Amino acid sequence: MHSPLIVLENVHLTLASAAGPVNILSGVSLSVDAGETVALLGPSGSGKSSLLMVAAGLEAPTSGRVLISGQDLTRMGEDALARFRRGQIGIVFQSFHLIPTMTALENVAVPLELLGAPDAFDRAKTELEAVGLAARIDHYPSQLSGGEQQRVALARAVAPGPKVLFADEPTGNLDGATGAEVADLLFALHARSRTVLFLVTHEEELAKRCGRLVRLKDGHVVADERVTPVT
Amino acid sequence: MNAFVLALRFARRELRSGLSGFRIFFACLVLGVAAIAGVGSLSQAFLTGLSDQGRVILGGDISVGLVHREATAPELAFLKARGHVSEITSMRAMAYAIKNGVEAERQLIELKAVDSAYPLYGSVSIAPKQSLASALACASGTCGALVEQTLLYRLHAKAGGIIRIGTQNFRIAGVLTNEPDRLSGGFALGPHVMVSREGLSRTGLVTLGSLINYTYRVAMPASASIVKFRSDAVAQFPDAGWEINDRSKAAPGLSRFVDELTMFLTLVGLTALAVGGVGASQAVSAFLDRKRSEIATLKSLGATGGFIFLVFLLQVMIIAVAAVVVGLIVGAALPFAVAASYGNSIPIPARYTAYPDALILAALFGLLSAAAFAIPPLARAREIAPASIFRDIASPASARGRWPYLAISAFAALLVLALALVLSPSPVFAVEFLGSVAGGLIVLRLCAAGLRWTLRRLPRPHRPGLRLALANLTRPGAATTGVVVALGLGLTLLTAVTLIDGTISDQVQGDLPQTAPSFFFVDIQPNQTAAFDKIVSRARTATDYKRTPMIRGRITALNGVPSAKAKVASEAKWAISGDRGITYAAALPKGTDIVEGKWWPANYQGPTQISFDEDLAKPMGLKLGDSLTLNVLGREMTGKITSFRNVDFSNGQQNFILILSPGVIDKAPHSFLATVRVAPAEEEPLYRAVTDRFPNISTVRVKDVIGDVNNLIQQLGDGMRLASLITILAGLLVLAGAIAAGNRARLYDSTVLKVLGATRAQIVAIYAMEYGLIGALTGILALGAGTFAARIVAVRVLQVDFSFDWGTAFLTVVGGGAATLLFGLGGAWAALAAKPAQTLRNP
Repeated sequence: MHSPLIVLENVHLTLASAAGPVNILSGVSLSVDAGETVALLGPSGSGKSSLLMVAAGLEAPTSGRVLISGQDLTRMGEDALARFRRGQIGIVFQSFHLIPTMTALENVAVPLELLGAPDAFDRAKTELEAVGLAARIDHYPSQLSGGEQQRVALARAVAPGPKVLFADEPTGNLDGATGAEVADLLFALHARSRTVLFLVTHEEELAKRCGRLVRLKDGHVVADERVTPVT
Repeated sequence: MNAFVLALRFARRELRSGLSGFRIFFACLVLGVAAIAGVGSLSQAFLTGLSDQGRVILGGDISVGLVHREATAPELAFLKARGHVSEITSMRAMAYAIKNGVEAERQLIELKAVDSAYPLYGSVSIAPKQSLASALACASGTCGALVEQTLLYRLHAKAGGIIRIGTQNFRIAGVLTNEPDRLSGGFALGPHVMVSREGLSRTGLVTLGSLINYTYRVAMPASASIVKFRSDAVAQFPDAGWEINDRSKAAPGLSRFVDELTMFLTLVGLTALAVGGVGASQAVSAFLDRKRSEIATLKSLGATGGFIFLVFLLQVMIIAVAAVVVGLIVGAALPFAVAASYGNSIPIPARYTAYPDALILAALFGLLSAAAFAIPPLARAREIAPASIFRDIASPASARGRWPYLAISAFAALLVLALALVLSPSPVFAVEFLGSVAGGLIVLRLCAAGLRWTLRRLPRPHRPGLRLALANLTRPGAATTGVVVALGLGLTLLTAVTLIDGTISDQVQGDLPQTAPSFFFVDIQPNQTAAFDKIVSRARTATDYKRTPMIRGRITALNGVPSAKAKVASEAKWAISGDRGITYAAALPKGTDIVEGKWWPANYQGPTQISFDEDLAKPMGLKLGDSLTLNVLGREMTGKITSFRNVDFSNGQQNFILILSPGVIDKAPHSFLATVRVAPAEEEPLYRAVTDRFPNISTVRVKDVIGDVNNLIQQLGDGMRLASLITILAGLLVLAGAIAAGNRARLYDSTVLKVLGATRAQIVAIYAMEYGLIGALTGILALGAGTFAARIVAVRVLQVDFSFDWGTAFLTVVGGGAATLLFGLGGAWAALAAKPAQTLRNP
């Protein structure tokens, strides 16, 4: 029987604020199959990033269920979620979020080390070579350009071989040419590993490279269409 | 891979960026550990020195002391059978300079007569150089005497001159430059003079009932057991009433003083650690706040909260270990620095070396304190949500952290407390001191919170500068709490120490001279009382004249239990550790305050009844009807306690803890003690009249003693104030840290103000108002807390009237304000100097 890899069932998210509770997500339901590439589009404040956080188990929904590979994330505690993410989920952030005190190699090795991989550094080195940074492995984040930092972040995200790769505005902090390079790399890595790619973006051109476009407005899914990716 | 090893690897990577953010943490820990290690090492150096030199200081392996009487022939035989014996006789006496054949200047002296075996250990140094035997020899009616240089100054005499002691003339053969057993002699009321036993016997001062101490020092073979000596002495001469000391505790009073001073200074060191701990806690919080995004990233990559806690705990503890090592090096160097700087001028023997025990203790204190203060913020960091990587949701700083972590932190703090208590010679004082510090920290924190609350609710001033200064004190992340707590605690301690010191000084300089007599006359013989009374009565201004019989004796048993085995609290040990003055009285002496029981009936001659000091009753476990056994002149006598009196030692008058009913004690040979108060103009004539007529009576000028005691208090006060400065220094470090933490906000503020048209002078004025205000408010708080603590110590512990010193008050408030202002403006300097465009480009 066919079973989707990611399932979101009637997900609500309400956050407290000084002015009172704010509804961020209002009954979002979505299912994603293995190997799919999904672009999450919507204006600022539509709830794109919040949906990514909930789906990645970084934030617990106020109500509803989130399942990845059949496991209900909403029933897990924070540490159980952290352990779950180790092998299953990779995340790329808009602001890279590399650890400034670690070299590029060490940054990529972190998830592998947490996973207990004995060959963490060898694999990290291979991933860095794959993103074209073989010559930069001993550089610290502050010694790398923005594009290079995002490539390290990409290598770090895919290194443990996750089933889902979440990317939150991965090109948002980069100039056009560098952003395009990183986007190419992102889709190339997806093509190689066949993971689910869950991409949050506000760039239509980038979104069109995905096979499915989900549009969000005021915390609701307003459109969900399967398209032919533009290559 | 083991989580611990992995966490260690991550911690090591983090530490590659250096001590950034941990400088204050590091400095506070170095300071606290160095203080405790230094004090401990120096104390050990002195205690080891005293122990090493034990037999030299004591003058033998064993010292047997008797008061009023010499050892009997069997007792002497017992001593001689156990080693080489040296006999010393010591007493207080008057020395007269003989000039042109008549008595000129005179001075109370500590007279010591030695035999040919003296000294058994160590050596006497004399200037000019000569042998002891030849210096003290008697020939053609004159004997030799060695004197301290002070006596020559006071008598305006020179070596070769003549002094008279009692009825005997002595030629000053030279100056005593080193007396090996001096430290075991106790508090001296006058310069030391050494003569031969033959010389002493010629003075006519040795009479039955005179206050004379006979000491027998025994040099025993190396194989002889001190324990066996003691048990044999007690078994064979149970009623001897002698005080036996051995080389392991040659100067018990001095060792106790070193112990107690060490305790006080260690507690001050712990206070510095506590103050530093507040800074450490702030530093760790600020550090983790900067690492928030990194922690969230690690969590999003699969790191658990426990793992995050371990990574950062390891980092903090690695830095703590480094700081402890530096602190230990500084502390261990202190004895060597003292040796190099003061060496020979310190009168206590010391062995200057490294003392591992003291260093291990300081390291434990340092690491436990670091853990106690660092764990709570680390526990909060453990709770940082991974979603905070995207947006600033619930502030982690407001979360408390899980209870097991807080329990570990509390356990580390309790271990520090327990360690301090176990090692303290006076656990009650240690509990009170540390309790006050903990209470002070809590109160100051509450005050800081109250201050912020109040400032927030004050109406906004119209002057924009003052409005901004007030707003700066209450905004989130303001240094207010840090400054109030850290600087406040140090200033509180300094205020308390200074006010207590001032109160004692006032007591000694101001109150005591109002109530104390002008003279103490000791050793008035029964056949001299009538003539003595007559001389005193001639003084027109003489008041409060009091002449009391006095005999020295030891309390040897409490309710039949030997004193050595009786349960006596440490604060009352002094009462049973040596001989005490005992008096007797038929009628209730004037001014006596009986607080419990009844005075004996008039003309009572029955079994001995005792009126005892009520302050000693509780620590000695005594109540009405209990018995005390006293040894007087080698004879045991037991009496029943029938009343307790309030004995006030602070008035400087005659005070006896033991007053006995007549019937038995009055039959023993004894002398009289007299006190009198005369107008200053009549002091010298009365002094002359008594000393001219009675060369055997020792005359103590209270004015001189008060001067000596005052000097001692001054020196101790200076030392304690210096020690308190360590906590102030820790407070200033924390202050610097708290101000540095706000520098980013300062930079932004000053940039915006400049953009809006504020000049640098205007911005400085705003900061000056802000820091001056918080500093002065902290000073006022510290003044209140310090005064409260000093008042409790004065009234409850010292039982004296508390005196408030406005100078201290002023200095505390102004000092607090000035220090904060200085550090604050220093910290804000970079913000003032920054170019606005630069900050606006890189916010």
